[in-house]
Amino acid sequence: MSETLADFSLGKRMQAKGIIQKVGVIGCGAVGQEITRAVSQYGIDVVFLDLDDERIELIYKQLDVQLDEVINHWGLTPGEKRAILSRIKGTTDYADLADCDIVIESISSRKRGTSIEIRKEIFQKVEQVVRPDAIISSNIATLMISDLSTVLEHPERAIGIHFILPVHKSHVIEVVRGIGSSEEAYQQVIKFAGMINKKIIRVNESPGNIVTRMLVTTINEACEILMEGVASVVDIDTAMKESVGHIYGPFEMADRIGLDKVLKYMDNLYQEFGDKKFKPSPIIKRLVRANYYGRINGKGFYNYKDGKAVDQTVTCAVIK
Amino acid sequence: MKIIVLNCGSSSIKYQLFEMPSKAVLAKGLVDKIGLKGSLIKHKRTDGVEAKLEGEILDHQAGIQFLLGILVSEKYGSIKNIEEIDAVGHRVVHAGEKFSGSVFITEEVIDALEECVDLAPLHNPPNLKGIYAMKELLPEVPQVGVFDTAFHQTMPPKAYLYGIPYSLYEKYKIRRYGFHGTSHKYVSRRACEILGLDYDQQKIITCHLGNGASMAAISNGKSVDTSMGMTPIEGLIMGTRCGDLDVGALLYIADKEETSIQNTSTLVNKFSGMIGISGVSSDMRDIEIAAENGNERAQVAMEMYQYRVRKYIGAYAAAMGGVDVIVFAGGIGENDTITRTKSLDGLEFLGVDVDREKSLKSRGKEEVISTAESRVKVIVVPTDEELMIAADTYEIVETIVDSQRY
Repeated sequence: MSETLADFSLGKRMQAKGIIQKVGVIGCGAVGQEITRAVSQYGIDVVFLDLDDERIELIYKQLDVQLDEVINHWGLTPGEKRAILSRIKGTTDYADLADCDIVIESISSRKRGTSIEIRKEIFQKVEQVVRPDAIISSNIATLMISDLSTVLEHPERAIGIHFILPVHKSHVIEVVRGIGSSEEAYQQVIKFAGMINKKIIRVNESPGNIVTRMLVTTINEACEILMEGVASVVDIDTAMKESVGHIYGPFEMADRIGLDKVLKYMDNLYQEFGDKKFKPSPIIKRLVRANYYGRINGKGFYNYKDGKAVDQTVTCAVIK
Repeated sequence: MKIIVLNCGSSSIKYQLFEMPSKAVLAKGLVDKIGLKGSLIKHKRTDGVEAKLEGEILDHQAGIQFLLGILVSEKYGSIKNIEEIDAVGHRVVHAGEKFSGSVFITEEVIDALEECVDLAPLHNPPNLKGIYAMKELLPEVPQVGVFDTAFHQTMPPKAYLYGIPYSLYEKYKIRRYGFHGTSHKYVSRRACEILGLDYDQQKIITCHLGNGASMAAISNGKSVDTSMGMTPIEGLIMGTRCGDLDVGALLYIADKEETSIQNTSTLVNKFSGMIGISGVSSDMRDIEIAAENGNERAQVAMEMYQYRVRKYIGAYAAAMGGVDVIVFAGGIGENDTITRTKSLDGLEFLGVDVDREKSLKSRGKEEVISTAESRVKVIVVPTDEELMIAADTYEIVETIVDSQRY
């Protein structure tokens, strides 16, 4: 039998509970990929699970392209890129998540209708394979972690983690404790946040947390201003960027998130609170109906060419 | 007296166990990948017994616990129990303006070092982790801090201030600190010992040329100028760092490429220097091979490197009103015969007469490489920062023991 370090410890104190070595990401679309990169960048192994082998190949390619883009902007060295990619593994089999310390569900919320049942199913599948003390989490904006955790045998291990987009630029994550979340699980997530260099915004469970709730109302108000013919899309965005110091204007942000997703957030929050301020703006509804989803398909409030906004698609009502 | 020297990096700890004052190394090793997957300790005892042990090392304290465990183990150890360790010497990168020499570590010293974390956010925190860990594991054993910046604290304001509003110096202590102080001090002293010169009467230029590189002007035993600044980016061209750069150019780049502060930092720290210019490698050996094979960018990179060293020699000679000894140290200074020799080209007017044949052969050992007639002595001195830390630790602990005795 070969020796290990454990044979040589002085044993003066108990070792702290294990560090987070492996994280599972379920659903590796645009957001899942951002999470995967951000976690792997800090030296943690990531297993992402997606629908089929073809998707997995595509995701590897997309991650490769994204990291090259970071290198082109002097954000990484080629050596660091290789290290990041070496820590990422794709799979279609839940069994490969077995030794994950944290599993983050991040499936696409683009499909019409509620995704809560699919997410619950995923939670159950994850619980069957992971250790009893592994954290099961969901990257949720408007859904409630307490709802999702009802299907778990150990609901105390469920914590909501909301990554703010773009993940590599934002320094915070929203961490949501559900009704049954345990202190131990919460501390693990705090440790995890520290390891990936994010500050924690502690949130008591509420639909939309802070960020999504503020964002949705801002986007709605921007649509109002546009519809009243007060100012153009570009000017409203510029005003918010230059005056309040937002990185993106409300329309740019909506296009980045995806208008279909924004619409869904609005519907969820309107349903939850019943307050008119969350009711989706008619413009957004019209755009989504016309398949204007934002950056993802090249047209939203702006038209995009090679990922850059070239002109605005919606003009406002003006009295001549 | 048995002294353990620790050099704690962000995810590694280099350690050496010394017997002082005989300077004998009993064992040395490396704790690597702390807090990461695949963490391990590589250990080597002086008699050649080696061990490579893998296992989970969660943090610096766990790493130190394991390395002490190895040191007292029957199979790989050098001592019977940890009580045999008489003192601990720590390498600490940045001590700001607080310390001009090595110090016995007290609560006040730790507080002062915590205050310097802003100045060296990558280096000081792991250094402090090592100190905290040892305090907990060996609470009775004296610990000594040896600082990279301390030796350069003798620089006068005209050398350490930057031409920016003075209020920024007052507010944030923005100034030149310099690094590699332990090495500059060791090799300059050792050079005088070898040459039989009075250290306090010489004008010395030391060239510490490694992956990170800096030079120092040492007049009458005191550092009066050095090429690294508030951070290790300034000065010579290095493996991946740019060295001296017009700040206007950097602002222009940041504007054109729309880079964040973080990415701009990566640009000057990791994409620049020899790898940036040559496009080949950050390793001088690879660049030399490429240059020999006709790679023009590798050739110009080497010329730039040598030119920058030569320029600093001229500048420091002017600053001190002459030069008596030039010392080369560090991986490149000790082993890269071509770079070292060519850096000295054209310095005859200063009184430098290099024995080219000797210089082109001398590798990794203490050796004078100037001719017997040369007015300026040029010498290679392999650096030994760990030994210097052990020596300082020994000296300080001896003084404390003495003062308690009487």
